[in-house]
Amino acid sequence: MEYIKKALPDKFAKTGWILLVLGIIILAAAFAVDSRRAFFDYLWIYMFMISIGVGALALVALEYLVGATWSTPFRRIDEFLAAIIMLLVLMVIPLFFGIHDLYHWSHNEIVSGDAILQSKSPYLNMNFFTIRTIFCLVVWLFFFFMMIRNSEKQDLTGDPRLTKRNNIFGTAFAPLFVITLTITAIDWMMSLEPHWFSTMYGIYYFSGTMVAAFSVTTLFAVRLKEGHYLDPKINNEHYYSLGAMMFAFNTFWGYIAFSQYLLIWYADLPEENFWLLMRWEGSWKFVSIALIFIHFVIPFLVLVGRSQKTNPRILKIMAIWLLFAHALDLYWLIMPTYNNAGAPLGWQELAFPFLVTGITMVVFNLRASKRNLVPVRDPKLESGLNFHL
Amino acid sequence: MAIKIKEFINRLKEYNTTWKTEPRSGQLHSISVLFDTPDQIIEAAKATANAGYKKFDVFTPYPVHGMDEAMKMKESKIGWIALLAGITGAITALLMIGWMGGIDYKNIIGGKPFFALPGSIPITFELTVLFSALVTTAAMVALFNKLPWTSNPLHETPFMKSVTSDKFGLVIEAADKHFDERNVENFLGQLHGHSIEKVYYPIPDVGKTKTPVFDLKFMGVIAVTAILTAIASYAVLNKVLYTQPFNWMWEQPRLNPQAQSNFFGDGFGMRMPVEGTVARGFIPYEYKGMPDSVIKLLANPLALTEEVIQRGKVKFDIFCSPCHGYYGQGDGRLKGQFPNPPTLHSEKVRNWQDGNIYNVITNGQNVMPAYDKSVAREDRWAIIHYIRVLQRSQNAKDTDLEGK
Amino acid sequence: MSFDSTYTKELPLVESKTSFSEIDNVIAAPMESKPGKTWFLLLALSVTMLLFGAVCLGLTFWFGIGLWGNNQPVGWAFDITNFVFWIGIGHAGTLISAILFLLRQRWRTAIARFAEAMTIFAVMTAGIFPLIHVGRPWLAGYLLPYPNQNNVWPNFYSPLMWDVFAVSTYLTVSFVFWYIGLVPDFATLRDRTKAGIKKALFTILSLGWRNSNRHWQHYERTYLILAGLSTPLVLSVHTIVSFDFAVSVIPGWHTTIFPPYFVAGAVFSGFGMVSTVLIFVRKVFHMEHIITVNHLEKMNKILLATGSIVGYAYAMEFFIAWYSGNPFEMFVFINRAFGPYAWAYWTMISCNVIFPQLFWFKKIRRAIPVTLVIVILVNVGMWFERFVIIVTSLHRDFLPSSWGMFVPTLYDTGILIGSFGLFFTLVLLFARTLPVISIAEIKAVVPGAQPTHKHHTNGQH
Repeated sequence: MEYIKKALPDKFAKTGWILLVLGIIILAAAFAVDSRRAFFDYLWIYMFMISIGVGALALVALEYLVGATWSTPFRRIDEFLAAIIMLLVLMVIPLFFGIHDLYHWSHNEIVSGDAILQSKSPYLNMNFFTIRTIFCLVVWLFFFFMMIRNSEKQDLTGDPRLTKRNNIFGTAFAPLFVITLTITAIDWMMSLEPHWFSTMYGIYYFSGTMVAAFSVTTLFAVRLKEGHYLDPKINNEHYYSLGAMMFAFNTFWGYIAFSQYLLIWYADLPEENFWLLMRWEGSWKFVSIALIFIHFVIPFLVLVGRSQKTNPRILKIMAIWLLFAHALDLYWLIMPTYNNAGAPLGWQELAFPFLVTGITMVVFNLRASKRNLVPVRDPKLESGLNFHL
Repeated sequence: MAIKIKEFINRLKEYNTTWKTEPRSGQLHSISVLFDTPDQIIEAAKATANAGYKKFDVFTPYPVHGMDEAMKMKESKIGWIALLAGITGAITALLMIGWMGGIDYKNIIGGKPFFALPGSIPITFELTVLFSALVTTAAMVALFNKLPWTSNPLHETPFMKSVTSDKFGLVIEAADKHFDERNVENFLGQLHGHSIEKVYYPIPDVGKTKTPVFDLKFMGVIAVTAILTAIASYAVLNKVLYTQPFNWMWEQPRLNPQAQSNFFGDGFGMRMPVEGTVARGFIPYEYKGMPDSVIKLLANPLALTEEVIQRGKVKFDIFCSPCHGYYGQGDGRLKGQFPNPPTLHSEKVRNWQDGNIYNVITNGQNVMPAYDKSVAREDRWAIIHYIRVLQRSQNAKDTDLEGK
Repeated sequence: MSFDSTYTKELPLVESKTSFSEIDNVIAAPMESKPGKTWFLLLALSVTMLLFGAVCLGLTFWFGIGLWGNNQPVGWAFDITNFVFWIGIGHAGTLISAILFLLRQRWRTAIARFAEAMTIFAVMTAGIFPLIHVGRPWLAGYLLPYPNQNNVWPNFYSPLMWDVFAVSTYLTVSFVFWYIGLVPDFATLRDRTKAGIKKALFTILSLGWRNSNRHWQHYERTYLILAGLSTPLVLSVHTIVSFDFAVSVIPGWHTTIFPPYFVAGAVFSGFGMVSTVLIFVRKVFHMEHIITVNHLEKMNKILLATGSIVGYAYAMEFFIAWYSGNPFEMFVFINRAFGPYAWAYWTMISCNVIFPQLFWFKKIRRAIPVTLVIVILVNVGMWFERFVIIVTSLHRDFLPSSWGMFVPTLYDTGILIGSFGLFFTLVLLFARTLPVISIAEIKAVVPGAQPTHKHHTNGQH
């Protein structure tokens, strides 16, 4: 196909940098005022960036794994966003300085007085925790470099064997993605309350990640299509597929969240229910109720029909909405450990929106400025553009 | 029986063959044409729609992509039916659970509220799906597609046999506003199809015959079905559901109290306890038949508390009040049927020691039976405390008033 | 198409260009010809199994469930194991027909009808077990919320009540979905059949379907809606079955991963059973060019995926049992793996997690005999999964004084065999009386069946 690269406007990069710098300033101020709270905010940002970056890489892998063609015209969006993984390596370093603020299993004196924490210490200890974190980052980085390198090389050579090679990488990444995401969720979020446990937790975070990844892809895809950066052949059926994926994974999230809640609510065992009761204290109650509506009920009702899934305006709004919902979900998972009495909401939390959008825009711009927005010589591209349901 | 079935089959066969072979004698229903490829039929449908025909239809062995647009058809509205039915199902379920569990038959289950939303969601979901699926399907068949309709004139034509197998057909109906036999034939001839054929109604004056719904036989069948259904539902709900196919647990050999039994020589089912058996907690009453002077030394073992008095009141109201009356004045509800019992406010009774009253309750006196079997020892003493209260209430002193 | 199809994995759905009338002939052949010896042999075998089960069941009715090996503390054993197993088998049908339909996986057409029929038969078989397990099945009417003479309403917060609603809804909706799919095929058969009782039946069953496009429009939309409804329904059914266990406080049963884990397991076992049956069907009825090796390979991939998800769930359960720090939880899992029922546990692990990993190799995915062995092992493994969950969690209660062992009796085994007999009898009868492949749908995916969309591609082809 014929492809003439069109550069992103300068405004995009500028806005991204401004947001990023503002976010860093707010976060720095937050650290100066209350470092414990700032660490929790920072963890929240970090988990969200994992959802976007690693989630985007998972979507790339998924396309190769199942041999989908409809998503090929958008694959570069995810490839660019996956570059956030490189940033995650830097972002994780400050977190290690906050381990003692975040996790009380990291205090030896607390563990020695707590039989349950002692029994968990073979898993929840600093050395093993560090090793697991590094393992996850290495896995992500490795697959990021391999798959993106192959895909970009194909722009030059058009060698179809690269697609085959990526099929293998995509297949191998799928199980590793689930495993690393589970480890990440248990280590960085579930162990905030080290007494609590849920076998569903990994899947819960996975479902939220998939929602966020599809939402951010949809947002970029619709915006880029509207700005004529993508192929004009992209039509309603592509939009429909994106909308359907957001809808499906969001419903999946609702299913997982409900199942986890129902089982804990029904059995009412004190070793489990305190985690939910924490989220029913003070203003947390309203966050919990809001989460049901924002993350499930409203998106479900909006996206259930066919015409809404093909309407770019609604898709854009819902993509932003669901990204917000995922942010709220992570806030609901992380912050009650910081303040159990009520949801902490102050200027410190503003660092989240600024940093998250800033990082996403800057990374996307840096990657996009040197690369094609479309995998121009991918053998699946034409079939993907002519996609019909 | 076997003969009848054979007869039935023969008649069915006959019905099928006559329907097929008889030359059709009715009015013109439509003109049909056949095509071989999906591309041809799409073009033909477009041309027909563009020519302004409204009552035409396309017949394909499977749904052909893009045909709805080619025929200029509006989007199906069946999704709304599904939505409405689903909402109805959800509301039905919530009302059912809310009323049955939350209002009509309250039961505490696992310490949960009588109506608990999380626990209601599974059933609500199932009924939503059930209602939606059944109503949508029924609406698709009956409301949108006007089926079942096995007597449509297109049935049993060579045209229909082709389009249910491997050909693509187009039909313009005689009922169309622009229908003109010759014009339509010419028009269809230009579409590069083949096998242009006229389809007639099987019998003349179709539609003028009386509606089969009012046919006596049909109505009879409906009536019989209705009655049978009613009887069957009644029988199932009221009889079959309560039948016990196997009654092993009810009918196992056992001895019924008070009933005759041949198992023992004396013909009684019940057995006497072994001699000298003492009931649990039994303490013999040792003062029976002793003089009052001894008996009066019996002291009330219960402390005088409000709780004890309340207990005494309960027991007094149950066992004593029928004869002695609620206030012990000898005016009980059984007044007139027995010799009147004396009032408990007499000088004699007021001066009795607790032991004397206890003795009377335990052993009875004159017409009054013994209550040692029916009122527990503690209760008897509690009743005595209560009788003292009653007596005091009828003979109150100034000092009883507050402040004196 | 100008691109190389090997990179998009879009292999032909029907081998060679088959004409429409040929499809009619192939699919209608089993219904229009006299069945062969193999069919009668298989039917005799499955009816024998069915009768054996029926006798055992009849004796159970007569004497009560004391004939089974159930005891204190193992109050649930083969009965509920079989129930969950058969319900699980019933999940593949709806998955193939609904979820793959929504995902536009057109390869589903060749196997959807058969899988749907198997769903219905499996759910029917499954429905027997909760009824007989209550001991006095003739009282099952009280499960329904109707104004009965006791003035009592059922407990709507009991997962067993949820089961009643879920399973009956599932059976009803699956049946409707299946029948609606059959209607156009009945029309085709009606017009193929010469006069006779068969024709009268097909006429009634086809509802006078005429293949009209004005009907197809609503039909297709309804089919889509039914698929959209069935997809969450199929998830809900096994979710609710998992709630039977997970809402309790029994270690080994109460764990939050149960709902998705049961669903994945159900899909896994269902695909195992569908594969098992299809491998025979395509051979016996000469349908190798419609149910191709490509179909079997795709099913093997799904088996690999769901098998791995099940493996993930086993691992999570084990890990969290240790991580929870709860001694009872830990004991149950150690007891599962190394206690008296360790053989069952390791059968389950090897059949469900280890053997399906062979499907990573393309050669094995496409080798039919190997596939057959693995899918049969999957069936065995999934039965043992339910056995392990139920029996090993129960047999050693909190106090060692209430420990016991479950040993199945002849009647337990007999009813299990009978359930297979019932299922296969129904499958065999279905294969002879109804079109086992959707005629209308398979025609729609034959190469050249759809218009070429010239207007979209501006004549590039």
